[in-house]
Amino acid sequence: MIDFEEELKKFQPSLEVEDAEEAINTQNQEIDMATVLYRIMEEKSKKEEE
Amino acid sequence: MNCYKCGCRLSEYDFCPSCGADVVLYKRIMFTSNRLYNDGLEKATVRDLSGAIVSLRRSLKFNKENIDARNLLGLVYFEMGEVVSALREWVLSVNSRPKKNIAVDYIEMIQANQSRLDTINQTIKKYNQALAYCAQDSRDLAVIQLKKVLSYNPRYVCAHQLLALLYINSAEWDRAYRELQKCIQIDTNNTTTLRYLREVEEMLMPEAAAKNGSRKKSAPMKTVRYQSGNEMIIQPMNVKEPRGVSSLLNLGLGLIIGVAIACFLILPGRIQSAKADINEQLRAVSEQSDAKTATIDELEQKVQRLSDENAQLQTEISSSEVTDDHLAVTDELMLAVGAYLSNPDDIEAIAGYLEALEEKSQEEDAERYQTEAYQALYNGLVEAVSVKLESYYYASGYASYNAKEFEAAIPDLRRAYQYNKKNVNALFFLGVSYYRNENFDEAKETFAEVIDNFPTTNSASQSKTYLAEINNMEQ
Repeated sequence: MIDFEEELKKFQPSLEVEDAEEAINTQNQEIDMATVLYRIMEEKSKKEEE
Repeated sequence: MNCYKCGCRLSEYDFCPSCGADVVLYKRIMFTSNRLYNDGLEKATVRDLSGAIVSLRRSLKFNKENIDARNLLGLVYFEMGEVVSALREWVLSVNSRPKKNIAVDYIEMIQANQSRLDTINQTIKKYNQALAYCAQDSRDLAVIQLKKVLSYNPRYVCAHQLLALLYINSAEWDRAYRELQKCIQIDTNNTTTLRYLREVEEMLMPEAAAKNGSRKKSAPMKTVRYQSGNEMIIQPMNVKEPRGVSSLLNLGLGLIIGVAIACFLILPGRIQSAKADINEQLRAVSEQSDAKTATIDELEQKVQRLSDENAQLQTEISSSEVTDDHLAVTDELMLAVGAYLSNPDDIEAIAGYLEALEEKSQEEDAERYQTEAYQALYNGLVEAVSVKLESYYYASGYASYNAKEFEAAIPDLRRAYQYNKKNVNALFFLGVSYYRNENFDEAKETFAEVIDNFPTTNSASQSKTYLAEINNMEQ
């Protein structure tokens, strides 16, 4: 049986046009696996040089 | 694929041919990202948009510079009615690759139509407002807002789902079912949609849902079935009425095709059918006419036969009338015979009947009725009563003669001579009566007969004298 109140909580407000810029900036700052790898390899090479 | 360190194009080896960097993990990350993009693409192809979003987002988690994955993710969001999310992905894609990127075209397409952008924004605001109404327990207002949202943006899956949830909450199962079917048409494998749909199907068709629940979830239904009172309503799905100019064109084309079919296919058949009917009717009328003609001929023959029979009957009737005359004559004879048989001495009555018979015998065709039997009877009667009749008539005639009533004496004397041809006196007095009555022709014949039949008698001498007088008078 569906619990209406619980289901209602799953619906989130949609992004409005005015909020698009902020959302873009936020998402642009997200780090992916490739970036993580690059940073790890960079730190590793710095340590080897030291 | 390029090296993450120096940007050189990588080969099949696990290191960069330019800088010698280890690229084993990097290659695995890139391959994983690409595989997840392919998975998302396959899901988007079969309209599993929710699954595609999951795969594409995971692909971007591995490599956020995967432009194809990001562009496709934006496209999937746009298809689900979430335009701002789509714009976000496309803007990020353009930031990563400003040139030779399809996302530029997508953004320009949306921004080119400002009114459409405003409409999209209003739609999103209304959806959020509907969500707020739900939180405030104003569900009727939420339903109204969501209907407006869907009228502007019919592909907004979240709005459909929220509306379906509101319908489920108010136990309007058929309406909820229709909204969920629209969701299924846009996003075939949305978990939320399928969960709501199972709930609705259980309420609409408890038995069928128990038997075929899983199958129905995977395959979209062709019809909508629901219970309304005691009736099972079956409503076809995916039936869309053509709209706009295309519908008018289709209507016109259909009319033209219909008229052409009527002119070239139906009309000749109808004409042929009408001709066949007319020929059939003509044949029937001809047969009726022939039958009537035959009947008329038969009736004419019948009329002719009846006319002949009528003429024959008329002849027979005439014969019958003659027979009546015959019977009348015979009756007179019978009466005379009867009178004689009843009283032979009543000569006056017998004479009366015989006089009547004599008058009948003088009529035309009298001889036809006088058969042999008639003549035999008549002769027998006359022979029996001739003596008495001769005496009766002679006495009567002579009395009239003496009384100088010559006209009355003539018939009696003539009958007296008729019944006795030897009665010279009767014949002589008859001649004198003619003479006195100035019937000179009859008188001459009578005197001539006296002279011829009784030449030696005194009456003959006197007759000669009368003849001479008559001759002298005529001279």
